[in-house]
Amino acid sequence: MDKETKLKLYRSMVRIRTFENGCRKLISEGKLPARFGMYTGQEAVAAGVSAHLDKGDEIGSTHRPIGHLIAKGCSLKKLLAELCAKRTGFNKGKAGPYHTFDPESGSLGANGIVGGSVPMVAGYALAHQIKKDGGVAVSYFGEGASNQGGVQETLNLAACWELPLVFVCENSSPEVQRMLGHEIDYPQLSIERISDRASAYGMPGSSHDGWDVLEIYEVAGEAVRRAREGKGPTLLEFKVHQIEGNLEGRIEAEEDDRVWCPIHNLKQKLLADGTLTPEIDEKIRKEESAAVEEAIAFALGSPDPEPIEAFDDVFVEGA
Amino acid sequence: MAERVITYSEAINEAHIQEMERDPTVILFGENVSSSWRRATKGLKERFGRERVRDTPITETSFIGMGVGAAIRGLRPIVELMLVDFGLVAMDQILNQMAKSHYMSGGAVKVPMVLRASYGAGTSSGATHSESLYSIFAHMPGMKVVLPSNPYDAKGLLITAIKDDNPVVFMEHRLLGRTKGPVPEEPYTVPFGVANLVREGSDVTVVATGRMVGLVMEAADGLKKEASVEVLDPRTIVPLDEEAILNSVGKTGRLVVVDEDYERCGFSAEVSAIVAEKGFNNLKASVYRVATPNVPLPFNPTLEKQLLPDREKIARAIRNVMA
Repeated sequence: MDKETKLKLYRSMVRIRTFENGCRKLISEGKLPARFGMYTGQEAVAAGVSAHLDKGDEIGSTHRPIGHLIAKGCSLKKLLAELCAKRTGFNKGKAGPYHTFDPESGSLGANGIVGGSVPMVAGYALAHQIKKDGGVAVSYFGEGASNQGGVQETLNLAACWELPLVFVCENSSPEVQRMLGHEIDYPQLSIERISDRASAYGMPGSSHDGWDVLEIYEVAGEAVRRAREGKGPTLLEFKVHQIEGNLEGRIEAEEDDRVWCPIHNLKQKLLADGTLTPEIDEKIRKEESAAVEEAIAFALGSPDPEPIEAFDDVFVEGA
Repeated sequence: MAERVITYSEAINEAHIQEMERDPTVILFGENVSSSWRRATKGLKERFGRERVRDTPITETSFIGMGVGAAIRGLRPIVELMLVDFGLVAMDQILNQMAKSHYMSGGAVKVPMVLRASYGAGTSSGATHSESLYSIFAHMPGMKVVLPSNPYDAKGLLITAIKDDNPVVFMEHRLLGRTKGPVPEEPYTVPFGVANLVREGSDVTVVATGRMVGLVMEAADGLKKEASVEVLDPRTIVPLDEEAILNSVGKTGRLVVVDEDYERCGFSAEVSAIVAEKGFNNLKASVYRVATPNVPLPFNPTLEKQLLPDREKIARAIRNVMA
């Protein structure tokens, strides 16, 4: 892998974490009304997968969407404005974190229903297949969503129609022996690997660590290539470790979590192979911090929608 | 030249052909849509190829959601639900994603998709193969809901639906498929939100949809000596031509609503509420509803008949409102 790609992956992860740290700060100050799942610790997945996607490709996301949206290249300003419920947000303050749609960058979109976006992503893939434009779509979902009927149905349909689609399951269960956020006595999966399900639908599947962006980049590249070549979908599973706690002012995780911190992992490798120097690292962090500060200023300085705007956009006007 | 007469199903088929020829982004998929025994879609696969006309697995959630996604990305999918009852397994994709993506995105995406669904009772098929359910779709903001009652409207409304940039639920009554009527050969549109004044009258307004329109006409014929009945077919319940209903009630002072869907919180309740709110001063009598009672439709044909609106029940309601 060339130096440029490695630095691109590093910057993408730093951007996501810096942005979410900015969100944490705004939330603690009462300036950001949205509540949503943070992507901290999972950045390698979105960065490694989206590095293979073009502007005309799409991703469908979840209610832990920030990393997916940013890695796909959406505007930080409009994203933060949306999270702050401003009229200048992607969706005029109507979406919030759970329904953010940005057609321009192909971030389509976050979804408030567990597994809800997965069938829609099959539609994006179908549009590519019919237009024959070589595009692909990526569907992100979690291990909980992998049990949803619509997800299972879409795995089947995508395989039957050989849709240009990559299924990316981010599995946060293995590290904690339970569904994150759900204190439950009964298991929700009777298999260890979500990717075992791929063979049941007739597509390739494999499982990987979600904190090694270089490996993610390689396997995602193969899956995206396969989809672009018309060979059909792939199911990739990444075991992820969500890093909790307040990371304000810090990029890397605390000592206990560092083994799972994708940013720390890549940084050590890139420092060792000479791709990264402390100076370049500093420069990237400063630039990304500046971009997030700019987004914060834009969002906080933006107007709220007028109450009457609640009635807009129920239907396409003039249609 | 005599008007050409074709069936309701043939009219729907012709709308598909003409729109798919006009616009290459129009595609069709659903369960068994390539089958030769499905009159509304017969021959389309042969004509347009298996790329644009596709049979899906029996997985409504995934293929309806796929329609939503394809619509967001520039296609105009027509997605067929074999029976509307089967849509109940896909309520997230219909009521959350299809209906609300445009609004939730603040207008950033649009969903120009038609969900065609066969519906209706009267064939002794039991409670999962007989329902109407259009009131559920009308309840959720963001979708248009269309109920053609005759072949002419079926073709014109479907062409309008395909051209519309919004999600449309297009409800085809399963007992109307062989109904014949005059249908022009050339493409034409019937606008949404414009009621059809099926018959002018002065004593009572009857608002009816789908197959109920024909039953109302028969009932009105039988009552010719007793009442001058005005029959209004809204054709689309979203958008609803409130003005036509209120104007008609303003003239007649009496209202009967005939609706095949379940009565509670349904279309008949909506029309009654609109007239109670906005036309109360014109009413000379209580509003009457003839709808399917709040009982799941049974298999036994005698039991089913007991529940369904029919000519006699409609005639009784008209007499009651005239009394």
